[in-house]
Amino acid sequence: MPKTQVYHAVTERLEILGPDGTVDKDLLPELGEERVRSMYLDMIRMRAMDDKALKLQRQGRMGTWPPIKGQEAIQAGVAQAMADDDWLIPAFREHGIMWLRGVPAHLIYAYWAGDERGSAFPEGVRVFPVAVPVGSQWQHGTGVGLSLKLRGEDAVAVTFGGDGSTSEGDFHEAMNCAGVFRTPCVFVIQNNQWAISVPLHQQTASETLAQKAHAYGIPGVQVDGNDVFAVYSAAAEAIDNARRGGGPTLIEAVTYRLGDHTTADDASRYREDEEVEAWAERDPIVRLRSFLEQRGWWDADREQAAQSEAQTWVDRMVAEAEAMPPQDAGDIFTHMYAELPPNLAEQMAEATGGESS
Amino acid sequence: MSTAEIHAVETDPAGATEKLTIAQAVRDAMRDEMRRDASVVILGEDVGVDGGVFRATDGLIDEFGAERVIDTPLAESAIIGMSVGMAATGMRPVAEIQFMGFVYPAVNQLLAHAARLRNRTRGVLTVPMVVRMPYGGGIHPPEHHSESYESLFLNSPGFKVVVPSNPYDAKGLLAAAIRDPDPVLFMEPKRIYRAFRDEIPTEPFTVPLGVASVPHAGDDVTLISWGAMVRVCLDTADMLAREDVSVEVVDLRTLNPLDRSTMLASVTKTGRAVVVHEAPRTGGFGAEIAALIAEHALLHLEAPVKRVAGYDVVFPLAKNEKRYLPTRDRIATAVRETLEF
Amino acid sequence: MAFVFNFPDVGEGIHEGRVVEWLVGEGDTVAEDQALVKVETDKAVVELPSPKAGSVLRLHVGSDADIEVGDPLVTIGEPGESADDVAQKSARAELTEVPAPPAPGSPPSEAAPDASKADRRPLATPKTRAMARRLGVDLATVTGTGSNGRITDDDVQRAADGASAPAPSRPTSAPIGVADSTADGEVERVPLSHLRKVIAGAMRESKQTAAHVTHVDEADVTELYSQYRAVKESVEADGGRFTLLPFFVKALVTVLKRYPMFNASIDEDRGEMVLKRYYNIGIAVDTPEGLIVPVIRNADRKDMIELSDEIADLAARARRRELDLDELRGGTCTVTNIGPLGGVFATPIINQPELAIVGLHKIQDRPVVRDGEIVVRKMMYLSVSFDHRWIDGADGARFMSDLVELVSTPGLLMARL
Repeated sequence: MPKTQVYHAVTERLEILGPDGTVDKDLLPELGEERVRSMYLDMIRMRAMDDKALKLQRQGRMGTWPPIKGQEAIQAGVAQAMADDDWLIPAFREHGIMWLRGVPAHLIYAYWAGDERGSAFPEGVRVFPVAVPVGSQWQHGTGVGLSLKLRGEDAVAVTFGGDGSTSEGDFHEAMNCAGVFRTPCVFVIQNNQWAISVPLHQQTASETLAQKAHAYGIPGVQVDGNDVFAVYSAAAEAIDNARRGGGPTLIEAVTYRLGDHTTADDASRYREDEEVEAWAERDPIVRLRSFLEQRGWWDADREQAAQSEAQTWVDRMVAEAEAMPPQDAGDIFTHMYAELPPNLAEQMAEATGGESS
Repeated sequence: MSTAEIHAVETDPAGATEKLTIAQAVRDAMRDEMRRDASVVILGEDVGVDGGVFRATDGLIDEFGAERVIDTPLAESAIIGMSVGMAATGMRPVAEIQFMGFVYPAVNQLLAHAARLRNRTRGVLTVPMVVRMPYGGGIHPPEHHSESYESLFLNSPGFKVVVPSNPYDAKGLLAAAIRDPDPVLFMEPKRIYRAFRDEIPTEPFTVPLGVASVPHAGDDVTLISWGAMVRVCLDTADMLAREDVSVEVVDLRTLNPLDRSTMLASVTKTGRAVVVHEAPRTGGFGAEIAALIAEHALLHLEAPVKRVAGYDVVFPLAKNEKRYLPTRDRIATAVRETLEF
Repeated sequence: MAFVFNFPDVGEGIHEGRVVEWLVGEGDTVAEDQALVKVETDKAVVELPSPKAGSVLRLHVGSDADIEVGDPLVTIGEPGESADDVAQKSARAELTEVPAPPAPGSPPSEAAPDASKADRRPLATPKTRAMARRLGVDLATVTGTGSNGRITDDDVQRAADGASAPAPSRPTSAPIGVADSTADGEVERVPLSHLRKVIAGAMRESKQTAAHVTHVDEADVTELYSQYRAVKESVEADGGRFTLLPFFVKALVTVLKRYPMFNASIDEDRGEMVLKRYYNIGIAVDTPEGLIVPVIRNADRKDMIELSDEIADLAARARRRELDLDELRGGTCTVTNIGPLGGVFATPIINQPELAIVGLHKIQDRPVVRDGEIVVRKMMYLSVSFDHRWIDGADGARFMSDLVELVSTPGLLMARL
């Protein structure tokens, strides 16, 4: 008997805002001048925060820092589509969206400078801490989604991860379980095409990452990650779908890591300058500025003011982070359990000479 | 006097009791807690429709439905990873890893996240979850179904580790574990899931974590143990009593947080200690106990602390099982060695 | 205040780098975050931005210089400010001190275990060791009767009491009284008691340390004796006991006050003679197992009747092995009353760490010449052995002379009490 086709899937890519600032008017989301401008300002700030962190690291004032340079549109676009009660479960290259979702910026600096208080977010901030074991956070995202569903909460769990993380078993398990349990989840892959020195084509034989969603019976879509409107549009649709009980969606946002993997890396060892330069021309901030200017919503004076204000904002965050007093000597002990157990009390006394608070 | 009898007066003056196995006691504890607290859910492989491969969740899906007794895909890392996400957002998941020998894929989620999230966020996010794991050997199963892997978790800060040895403790400790604000690894001695029944109260009750019990008092030597080995120690005590050796048995019940004072009081009294566990000897928890005794009771010791444990080998398949596990005779030999030192 | 920018760890465990190119010069004004210098590390060539704005006061290293993390790179401050007036704390880059690795060839910090010491180390459980410490027993001098020669609690207790070891349950030498044969004839082997070994050690050590000289004199104790008889009747009527010894103890204490060097010890490390201002007189007691010297503390503050009681008590308990360690130590001078055992005089061995020991010998009726006439008097010899390293012969003679005078003239002794 001739074979029959039992399954067929198509993976689509969404683009709205081109590198030169022109848009597909039919697909442009209705955001209005204020919201678009505020996304632009957010992206400027993210870039300034990122640049400053790199300098601080070179001055010995910051620990290892993973730059987000070039990936601002994904973070601003998704944040714009999230509602107040939605949860964010980041990987480790989401400083921008973590800030936008309520994490005080100076805490982000403090965390990466090596202070656990940087992960103690204020009450009501629905953000998970940075997940260092690659890909492990996908599972938490599914778990949060399941929790929201079981408890009948009208909220969505938005989880981030990189292209490299899709090779981890946890990615597979999390997508699979999300599909089975139809959790209110949106999974956003920041595909910046490099996992330290491993390029995408060595990471997977799949042509896209979005198509992996089909294996789990959930929708998957690819977007131009440097196109804030495409990101916003796809995210808004996926979040809305999840909120209405439609189950999870996987979004692959294709972008480029303009910086090194982290401050401990030297990307020039494994990639060509030409490639970086080519992608720099597709910079998300540049094209959004171009869009704004074409609309008459932006000009050189506003640009200067915005850059200056971003610097001031960054300086304030640095000062606030560096003004944090040292933690108490006992703090490494007192947060292991709800109540300090006897063996830790003993060790704490030993370590602090009995002086801890 | 069984542990149940010791406690019966404290917890159930009304006296309504029933004879239950450990497996049944565990199920009852989960049932009681799920009735009491709507945020408690069970998840794992085959826990729902099948009632669990050891029937430890038998009938619960009928009472609580598939949204609270969740059959997961075959994915240990997901079971734990999802539990972390659920626990951090207002639920109390009771996850089951079908056999402790299959926990390895989930170790990353356990060590990197479950044990750390509270500390990582300075208490803002916490993980009130329980991971139930049938453990231990002696049921002549295929490979990987006999492991006792508590040492890994005892050397990873952030967990509580609980091991009941009898139905009363199983029911009370599991209830306490589910109510605990921190991640608890609940190791169930599968060899004795159904080996005996004890009379235990029908009402819900808890047994506090971090408190050891002394199921058999004696003067000459202290046996320190947990889980299935406790009964072997009690048998050894009976046997040695006929040789006029008076053995005291300490059942730790919780390995972390460890009740040092009960154990040390006993060793101070007897002057001799033998630790018995299934896990391999080197780096096993017996080593920690021996170090603690040396540190805190050195001058009361008449002999070195001995350990009777599994050998430093992979747990053998069924035909060699008996050669591996500590037996009454091995324990008795160790006891005699401390007496003759 | 000027600020020194030290080379930070720019790449997760970088230790060193090389200056590729300075981007600023001394005297230049720099802004915050302006690039100062290019440094090459194992991982990359990095630009280091300035943490502060100001004037470059000094470049501490030149181009091509090799630098280590923590080395000063540049001092920045006010124009014209001295580069030496430096703020102590660099901005936030507080590198933890890593101790320098030991120089190659330097000895390891812990000496290799002394294997020969381990062989000689006595075997005992921690519990037994603690007991030995408490009772002041040196385990090295105890023979163990436990398994493998281990020292048991009983062994320690016996050693503390000064008793000999009982027959070992697993004897390591022939049992007591076993006849044996050598090439020359039959012998009997008797195990040496612990006490005997202790005494042997003490005697040898004293003889090998001190330069023993014994000065002997004789005293007419006829009057002393009759005084003693008078008091004795009265004391014993009250149920007490009384002997001659307290008189001699009191006389000794009186003379020791005048000749403090006989009531002293030597601290050779500090080059000092330690003159004791207290008077703890050791009384040598003969017991079946050997010589024991209990100590009467503060003999100067007790009257003779108290001394008599105490001496009797100590002697009795010594013979019963019931003395505490405290009662056996702390003496400043010793008296050995050999007289009752006979002999004329002797040369006693000093009781270390004291410097003198007084011997009391037999009281005998002897004919002596008084005022040209032969009369019978109760005479006794007194000896004093002293350490001639620290005490000269003349002092010995004078000391003894005074002592003799006191015991020969009880009235004078009383006057000096």
